[in-house]
Amino acid sequence: MANQPAIDPMHQFLIHKIVELPTFHVGKLAFDMSITNSVASMIAGAAILILFFILTARREIVPNRGQALAESLYNIIDRVLVGPIIGPEGKPYVPYIFALFLVILVLNLMSVVLAIFNVGGLELTFAVTSQLAVTATLAVLTFFSVFILGFVKHGPKFVTLFAPSGMPWPMLFFMVPIEMISYFVRPVTLAMRLFGNMLGGHVVMSLFGSFVVALGIVALSGGLATLAFIPSALSFTMIVALTGLELVVAILQAFVFAALATVYLNEVVNFGHGH
Amino acid sequence: MATETQESTAAPEAKPAGLPQFDFQWWPGQIAWFLIMFLVVLVFVRLFAAPRVGGAIDAREGKISGDIADARRLKDEAEAQAAAAAAETAQARAAAQRLAGDARAKAQAEVAAKLAQEEAKLAEKAGVAEARIAQSRDAAMTHVAGIAAEAAGAIVGKLTGRAATPAELTAARGS
Amino acid sequence: MNPVASVVDFHTSAKLIGAGLAAMGMIGAGVGLGVLFGSYLQAAIRNPAGASSQQTMLFLGMALTETMGLFAFVVSLLILFGS
Repeated sequence: MANQPAIDPMHQFLIHKIVELPTFHVGKLAFDMSITNSVASMIAGAAILILFFILTARREIVPNRGQALAESLYNIIDRVLVGPIIGPEGKPYVPYIFALFLVILVLNLMSVVLAIFNVGGLELTFAVTSQLAVTATLAVLTFFSVFILGFVKHGPKFVTLFAPSGMPWPMLFFMVPIEMISYFVRPVTLAMRLFGNMLGGHVVMSLFGSFVVALGIVALSGGLATLAFIPSALSFTMIVALTGLELVVAILQAFVFAALATVYLNEVVNFGHGH
Repeated sequence: MATETQESTAAPEAKPAGLPQFDFQWWPGQIAWFLIMFLVVLVFVRLFAAPRVGGAIDAREGKISGDIADARRLKDEAEAQAAAAAAETAQARAAAQRLAGDARAKAQAEVAAKLAQEEAKLAEKAGVAEARIAQSRDAAMTHVAGIAAEAAGAIVGKLTGRAATPAELTAARGS
Repeated sequence: MNPVASVVDFHTSAKLIGAGLAAMGMIGAGVGLGVLFGSYLQAAIRNPAGASSQQTMLFLGMALTETMGLFAFVVSLLILFGS
């Protein structure tokens, strides 16, 4: 595959600069603040979100379509996740989980829906959530803000989280390290889940897209090769089906990230009487 | 081996090797920009979107439950009024029935009184008539004795050729 | 003919085989997802009233199961496209 430059599913994840901006040095780290295609997509996502809520957040009793959509998004967090999982004590945290959910949702959906228009070298959007830097930031941010909230709310008592109750004390020597590993692997799994799902979906879509073009070019050479139009058309059908699947995955991954954040938050909020 | 390492170090210039996601050159910038963007969205959602949307949902639910409570209260009120109206109707009907009963009793009493009066009048008339009849019958009866005596006298005279005396006639009638 | 070229070829082929082997880790995730959704469906058919209340748990379980497969997938891609 590597000798054929037409099929390169990783090309879509390449970052390049659009606007050159100065680099900041903090210690050894060099923060290149240039607007890349990834950063441009992030800013577009934030702009879409803010515009959407400014346009739809009305206070009408009978909602129109936009308001109904905004309210059903809010209800997913408020009534489906935080309400049943945490309970009424989780009400103050709804905006944070809602923001988390919205950011992932809009970036995921942008990368699937607007990617349809990325034809002929035009780069309308970039799959931001398939950048490990972004998903790792999100995961670490979520995990450590919840972890620190635990210490703020419960003080040093919070470390008993790692010691399962009702266990003979010699067992703790085995259980505490296992519990700690399974606890601190959470940000890794959070980051890898989102990253892997978006990366995988985009790679497969890109592969089938390359098949359509490559097999179409082969078919155009005439003769018996014209038969190559059949697999080309099949690949095209696959892209349509995969786009549908990726839409579901995009929404589901945003939901799952918010759900896991809610579950982790629940351990902190209901600490001591949850288990 | 030497050529291989050379190749792998020369590769990034021609085409970036490995996954583009692991090109750490872009990480700090992306992380910084993502944090900025996330913070902006977080503040926006915290201060504007969540209170607005959540407030609209709460307002709708409050309005719906308020409306239902209002409707229930109005229904209870209407039922109470209907019960009061029914009681009033029953009372009015009872009063009307009592009034009608009174009127009927009064009318019956009047009719009975008039009837009794008329009957008394009739009885009086009947008594007078009976008395007259009795009188005329008695009178007729006395005349009958006379007529019978006369007739008997005439018959005796015709039979015997001689006139019977009134004393004999009276004695004969008496026997 | 060229010994170096054959070494590079061996490297590439080993890489491809390794990527394929790493991708086999996704078999477990596939089985796990099948068991997960199968059990959910069975339980949902037996007790349809309680099905919708467990949907959040279903998706959480799906996410946790799927992660294991995604690890294999990412490792496979790392081998395939890594230097």
